[in-house]
Amino acid sequence: MKRFLETGNFAITEGAILAGCRFFAGYPITPATELAEAMSLRLPQVGGVYLQAEDECAAMHMCIGAALGGMKAMTATSGPGYILYADPYGWALGCETPMVILNSGRVGPVSGITGAPGQGEFYLTRYPTQGGNFETIVLAPNSAQECMAMTVEAFYLAERFRMPVTVLADQLITDGFEDISVPENDDEMKEMRFRVWPRKVHQGPDFYPPSDAIDVPPVVLGHNTGALCSDWTPTEEGYDIEEVEAHHKHAYRLIYKVRNHRDLFSHHYDRKFMDDDPDLVVVSFGTPSRVVNTAVAKARSQGLKVGALRLINIWPFPDELFKARTKYLAVELNWDGQMVREVQRAVAKDSEVHFLGICGDLPTMHDLITTFEKIIKNEPLARRGWELEAW
Amino acid sequence: MEYKASELTSKYLRSRKIPSTACSGCGLGMNHKIVVQAIQELGLGVSDIVWGTSIGCAGRQTFATWKGDGFAGTHGRVYAIARGLRVALPREKHLILTVGDGDAFGIGLAHLIHAARSNADMTVIVNDNLGYQSTGGQYGWTTPQGSKTDSSPYGMFEHNLMSEGLDVMHILRGAGATFLARHVSMDGLAAVETVKQAIQNRGFSLVHMPYPCPTNFASRQLGSRNQVNIYRWIKDHAAPLGQEKEDTIWATGIWYDASNSRAEFSQMVWETVDKIRRTGRI
Repeated sequence: MKRFLETGNFAITEGAILAGCRFFAGYPITPATELAEAMSLRLPQVGGVYLQAEDECAAMHMCIGAALGGMKAMTATSGPGYILYADPYGWALGCETPMVILNSGRVGPVSGITGAPGQGEFYLTRYPTQGGNFETIVLAPNSAQECMAMTVEAFYLAERFRMPVTVLADQLITDGFEDISVPENDDEMKEMRFRVWPRKVHQGPDFYPPSDAIDVPPVVLGHNTGALCSDWTPTEEGYDIEEVEAHHKHAYRLIYKVRNHRDLFSHHYDRKFMDDDPDLVVVSFGTPSRVVNTAVAKARSQGLKVGALRLINIWPFPDELFKARTKYLAVELNWDGQMVREVQRAVAKDSEVHFLGICGDLPTMHDLITTFEKIIKNEPLARRGWELEAW
Repeated sequence: MEYKASELTSKYLRSRKIPSTACSGCGLGMNHKIVVQAIQELGLGVSDIVWGTSIGCAGRQTFATWKGDGFAGTHGRVYAIARGLRVALPREKHLILTVGDGDAFGIGLAHLIHAARSNADMTVIVNDNLGYQSTGGQYGWTTPQGSKTDSSPYGMFEHNLMSEGLDVMHILRGAGATFLARHVSMDGLAAVETVKQAIQNRGFSLVHMPYPCPTNFASRQLGSRNQVNIYRWIKDHAAPLGQEKEDTIWATGIWYDASNSRAEFSQMVWETVDKIRRTGRI
């Protein structure tokens, strides 16, 4: 094991290389630029290719091309680039092309604030493209070390599910320096619970089986298998077809290959102080969860029966974690409240759901603990200016 | 009527997709045949080529016609996919893309220019039906000035890429393409010879091939779906390079041939990666 004091971007690069990624195409954007830079330095050293694209749309399409040629590919961006993935993301979902996308969240909408953390793409990562009829897989690390783990895991899931997987981080994690351990061999990787799935080649002719099966090898071109892939509704062989029945089969596969294998994600949630039916469950993901964890621990020491639930696999949304009828507080790095809507949908009937949003910065311990107290004591939450506690 | 497959068809194309579902009288089949015949005359087999297409008439009608491996990109993106694929594919595989004018010169122009810039080994056949015909017949970036289309009912009045002395070839040449040519679809064997040269260039080649659309373009512009009219109209407005007349829109022949003169993209990428891996520098 080698230890470094390095950024999340460094950790992601090393994780990608450990997972077998040998192709990265990107476009400079704060705060994901350093990842592209790290890839441009490191990939050639391990026989991989870094390419700079003319825009993010091209970057992800180049990754599609490399993946179709049999390589494990990755791209990275922030919100304004992530929306330009809409086109290739849909293509990759429909053609079931494995690849990994890193989105380091900043403050939006549009260019917004470039050098501050935000969580404005919670729903965008669920619906990164148009048309519906698909599920997405999204992982949200909360530290540099976990960035590495989640990148490795994203490659693993991408191969098994035959689809693009997004790692949703934020500016603080990708830019921040932390203590990082990089495994140096297979045993150390196993010790860190890193899972790697090799790229396989579908031999055809049923490239698009009408089933929810995972572990179907992806379409790889150049092996003369007669492989076909396109943006149109595919027949099982990959021919384009305009028939609702065929599309229904295809869409069901895209939805249910994920929904029916959720057991593959289940160990990726982080609960603290959750064993004694807390009066208040604080839900978060990414960087704010670190402050939340600390605040919850402190609140416990002050006698508040609070628990922390951190989501790592944020999509598909883990409804099963919200069975307890209690009070919930969603803490997010946005002011509009995104994850809180899913919490509201998922919670047991008659549960109370509250929202604490802050953007461009982290919530303070004081803000969090004061909010915990008020919710537990049924006191109204403080209103700041015109801001209303609408949840 | 029973369709009898030619030797060319049965050797290279999938019977499921040929004949295509193109409109009666569509000229796309002529372009398609020119490309397949060029492949045959070069002695290439099904496994030597990975075939990519775009959307629209040209993309949809040629997708999955090739017996070997094939892919189709969304609007304008196939050049970016092809660049990534070029890096991952074995060097000896040829990449042939049959695309349309809206795809190449409209929505995909930036990607096309960057494919030319990088001199990535691919042969792009731009099948130009003079506008967006699969959506019903709207003007595009090569639609001749003055043409009446469904979205230019008074005549197309904007400056365009193929008007007033402009020619899309100049853009592509400036961008770094190493083989550029144009033929109209009735050029037959001359076009076959050109496409053969395009495929033999291990770099970025593009052949622009305007073809007749009787259903939409001709019906609006010429007021007739009679195929003879639009075939004659296109032929009348094409002339070999150097023999252009006042009303020539398409100067045909080889525009630029710098085949195999600049380092090819994927070869350069892999040689550089290899060198960095061995020596730590380039």
